[in-house]
Amino acid sequence: MMSDPLTFSFEGEALSARNGQSLAAALTDAGQRVFRHTGKGSPRGVFCGMGVCQDCLVTVDGQPNQRACMTLARDGVEVRRQIPRPDLENATTAAGKPTDAPAAREMEPDILVIGGGAGGLNAAAVAAAAGASVLVLDERKVAGGQYFKQPAADAPLLDAQQSDGADLLAAAREAGVKLLGGVEIWGAFAGPLLYATAPDDTPLVLRPKQLIVATGAYERPRMVPGWTLPGVMTTGAAQTLWRSYRSLPGKRVAVCGSGPLNLQVALELARGGADVRLAAESAPSPLKRPLSAMALLLAGPTLSLAGSGMLLGLRRAGIPVRYDTELTAIASGPDNTLRATFRRDGKEETLALDALCMNDGFEPQNEILRLLGVDMQYDPAFGQLRCTRSDSLSTSVDGVYAVGDCCGLGGAPAAAAEGRIAGAAAAAACGFTSKENLGSSHRALARARRFQKRLWALHDPAPRTLETLPDNTLICRCEEVTLGQFRSGMADDADHIGAVKRVTRVGMGCCQGRYCGPVAARLVANATGRSLTDHSYFAPRVPIKPVSIGTLMATQEALDAKA
Amino acid sequence: MPRPELLIIGGGVTGLCAAISAARQGARVTLIDAAVNAGTTANAGSLHVQLQSRFMRLYPEQAPNVEASLPLYLRAVREWDALEASHGPFEMVRKGGLMLAEDAEQLAFLETKARREADKGLDVEILDRAALERIAPWLGPQIIGAELCRDEGKLNPLAANIRLRAVACDLGVSLVRDRITSLSIGSEVQLRGEIDSYRADQVIIAAAWGAGDLVSDLGLSLPSRAEPLHMNITEPAAAGIEHLIQHAERSITLKQLQSGQIVIGGGWPAKSRGNHAVPEVLATSLLGNVALAGRLVPGITGLRVIRTWAGMNTTIDGKTALGRMPGAARVIVAVPGDAGYTLGPLVGRLAAELAGDMPRDVDIAPFSLARFAA
Repeated sequence: MMSDPLTFSFEGEALSARNGQSLAAALTDAGQRVFRHTGKGSPRGVFCGMGVCQDCLVTVDGQPNQRACMTLARDGVEVRRQIPRPDLENATTAAGKPTDAPAAREMEPDILVIGGGAGGLNAAAVAAAAGASVLVLDERKVAGGQYFKQPAADAPLLDAQQSDGADLLAAAREAGVKLLGGVEIWGAFAGPLLYATAPDDTPLVLRPKQLIVATGAYERPRMVPGWTLPGVMTTGAAQTLWRSYRSLPGKRVAVCGSGPLNLQVALELARGGADVRLAAESAPSPLKRPLSAMALLLAGPTLSLAGSGMLLGLRRAGIPVRYDTELTAIASGPDNTLRATFRRDGKEETLALDALCMNDGFEPQNEILRLLGVDMQYDPAFGQLRCTRSDSLSTSVDGVYAVGDCCGLGGAPAAAAEGRIAGAAAAAACGFTSKENLGSSHRALARARRFQKRLWALHDPAPRTLETLPDNTLICRCEEVTLGQFRSGMADDADHIGAVKRVTRVGMGCCQGRYCGPVAARLVANATGRSLTDHSYFAPRVPIKPVSIGTLMATQEALDAKA
Repeated sequence: MPRPELLIIGGGVTGLCAAISAARQGARVTLIDAAVNAGTTANAGSLHVQLQSRFMRLYPEQAPNVEASLPLYLRAVREWDALEASHGPFEMVRKGGLMLAEDAEQLAFLETKARREADKGLDVEILDRAALERIAPWLGPQIIGAELCRDEGKLNPLAANIRLRAVACDLGVSLVRDRITSLSIGSEVQLRGEIDSYRADQVIIAAAWGAGDLVSDLGLSLPSRAEPLHMNITEPAAAGIEHLIQHAERSITLKQLQSGQIVIGGGWPAKSRGNHAVPEVLATSLLGNVALAGRLVPGITGLRVIRTWAGMNTTIDGKTALGRMPGAARVIVAVPGDAGYTLGPLVGRLAAELAGDMPRDVDIAPFSLARFAA
C-alpha cells in the first residue's frame, strides 16, 4: 500500500505525500494548484500530466525545471514555485558541474523500442522472445503507457485495465526485455542515432540496429478563454492523478470534449469520490444515430457493451451526460473556483468547479519520426499526420518501424497488434525468427481498426474550427500568444507557419509548439487555401524535449573521451 | 501593376533597407522574395565589428579584405543606431563585444589584432582577468583575458525584421513572393520568376548567396557561397550577460536577448539540403557548440536548450560587393558578404542611393564589382 508517509515542503510549508506519488499528485492532494507563474504573471499548474506541456515546472532542492507531473515526491525535499527567469548560476560553483555528471553510456541493442505502452511493450516482448536484444525506454519511471497507466510504487491494481498492463509488463520482462524508465530522449538523427538522459543524469547514446517508435499521443485541448488556468487539465492528466496516484484533481469536477475517454474518466473520478457535475460531449447522442451505434456494436460487441456499461454507471451515479454540448469559456472565481460555461441548444450554463478536465481528441507524438524524415500524410478526418507504413509496420526510413498512436490515432488494441507485428519484423531484420502467430495479430489489427472507425463516427474527432473563438483565446500557452495576435500576424505574412511563428513568437516556448503547432498549421492552411502536409507543421527540431546545457556538455565530454 | 522604377530581389535586411531608402526617395518599389532560406529569417542578431577569429581561421586568404572593410563595419553599426532611433525598438544593446582568450598565445593574438583594429578606428581594449571580473563575473575561471570592442552589440532580429517590413509596407513598397530565376537587359530589365515575369527600370540584387547565379548569365562571376550555420537558443534566465561573447580561437557567439534567452551560435556547420530546402541540424554542431558555451560561461549550464535551427550565411571574398554591374548599369548588386545582418542596412541604403544617383556618405569604390568581371 501507499502508506509510507513522506514529508516535503512547498514554499516553506510542510506537506505530506504517499510513497510513489508524483509531486503534482501530492500538491493536488494538499489543495495546491498554482505551481508557478509565467513571465507575464499568469498562474499555471498541472495541465497535460505527462511531461509534454512544461507548465507544472517547480524548483526542487534548488534545481529548477522539474516537471511536477514526472517527478516523484521524495522525503525531505524542498519544493518551490519556479520563478520565470532564474538567476544565472555563480560561475565557480557551476564550473564543477559538468565533470560531476556521470559518464555517458553507449548502447547498441538489436532493437530499441521507444515508449513502454501497449504498442512498445508488445513489440519488445515479441522481439525478445525471438532472441533479439531489446531495450525499451520510457519517459515515465513506471512503464505501461497512457492506456495501461500503472499504479505508483506498491499500490494495488485498480481494475482489469491495470492488471492487463501489469501482465504485459511481466511478460516483456520474462521474455528478456530490458526496461529503462525515466529516460528523456532529446535527439534523433539519421542512423538511427539517438541521444537521451537517464534519471540519474547519465547521458545515453543509442545506436540500435532496428528502431521501433511507439511514442503514443498526447491530448488535444479545448482552447477557450481561460483554458490555461490552474485546475483546468487534460482528461488524461486527471486520470493519471487518480489511477496512478489515487489523487483526485478536485472535489467538484466536470469533463468535456469528445471521445470515450472523457466518459470513462468521469466515471472513474466519481467512483473515487469526486462530485462530477457534468460530462459534456460535443457530438450528438448515439441515440440520435442508432445506425452508427448498431454498427459499433457489431464491430466490437465487448467494447461496445463496456461503453454502454459506462453510460449506465454514469446514470446510476447521477452524473449528467450531455451531448451536443460545448465548453465556451472558463473564468477564475473566488477561492480558486473555476467558472466553466457550457453551451447547448443555444443556452448557456455556468458551473462552479474545482477542476475541469478536457479531451478533444489526440495529437500523435511523432517528433522522432518527423526528425528521422519518415513520410507522413495528413488525415483530415482526425486532423493529424499519419505515418506511411508497410504491412509489417516499417516506415519509409530503413530500419525504423512505427506502431500505435504516434502514427495517428488507432487506440490501444490496434497499437498492441501493431506492436506484435513490428516486433516480429524487426527481429527478423536482425536475423531472429519469431514464433509469433502473425495471422492472429493481423486479424486483431483489422478488427481493432474497424471498431475504431465506427467508434469515432459517434464522436467528433476532427479538430474544431476556431472561427467563432474570441480573439483573447490563448493559442500558445508558453509565449502567451492570443488568437487575435496570431490572426494579425497572419494578416502581415501568412505564407508559411514559420513566418507567422517569427512574427508572433507562437511555438517558441518550452513545450516547443506541441499545443499551438497543430492549431497554427490549420489556421495558416485555411488562410492560404492550401491543404495540410507534413510541411504545414513547425519544422521538426532537436532537442525533442528541452535539455540542459550541463547534459549536453557531459554527452560531448563522453564522445570526446571516446574519440 | 505599373512598372516599378526599382525592383529588389531579396527580402532580407539588405533588401528591406534598400526598399525603405528608395521608397523614401519617392521611387515605386517592388520587393521580391522566395521565402526559403531567405528574408533574413534565421539570423541570430549579433552586431559584429571586430575581426571574427572564425573568419580569419577558415578563410585566411580573405582576411586582408575583411581588415580593409573594418571602417564599413563601424559605419554599419551606426546605421543600425539610426534605424533603431527611427523605427525601433529592436531590443538593441551596444555594450560591446568580448573576444575571450584562454591562454597566453590567444591573448597575444588578440593584442596584435587589437592594435591593427585600433588603427582602423575601432574602439578596442585588452582586458586582463581582473578587469573582466568587473564586467563579466560569469566567465569561466580559465579565461585569462579578452579583447573588448566597444562598437559591437546585439539586437533581436525578429523584432527588427517585423518593424522594417512594416515600415516598407507603410511607404508603399509592394511585396511579392516569387523566386527570380533569370534576368535580361534591354531598354528595361526583364525578370523571370517561378510564378510570374516582371519588368523594371532598375534592379537591385540583394539575394545574398543567390546573387552569384543571377549575375552569371550577365557575365559576372561573383563567388557568393551559401554557408549553412547552426544556432541554439535556451529558455529565459535573469538578465546578466550584456556583451556579445566570442573566442580568440574557437567558433562561438553567445549573447542574451532581452527576453532573457541565451542565443548560442558562431559558425558551427549545418548540413545543406540544397539551396531551396532548410539545412539540417547536425548532432556534432549542437553538442560542440553548446558544450563550448557552457565551458566559457559556466553559469548557463543549468539552463535548458529549447530549440536549434540552421540558416544560411553568405561569404564572397571577405569584402562587400556593391555597385552597378559592369556592362549592365541597370542592375546593382548589394551583397554584404560575411556578417550580412550587421552590414545589411548600410549596404541596402547605399544601393538605393546608387540607384537614385544620390550623393552618398560612404565611398563605395572599394566594393566595386569590377573585381569579378571577366
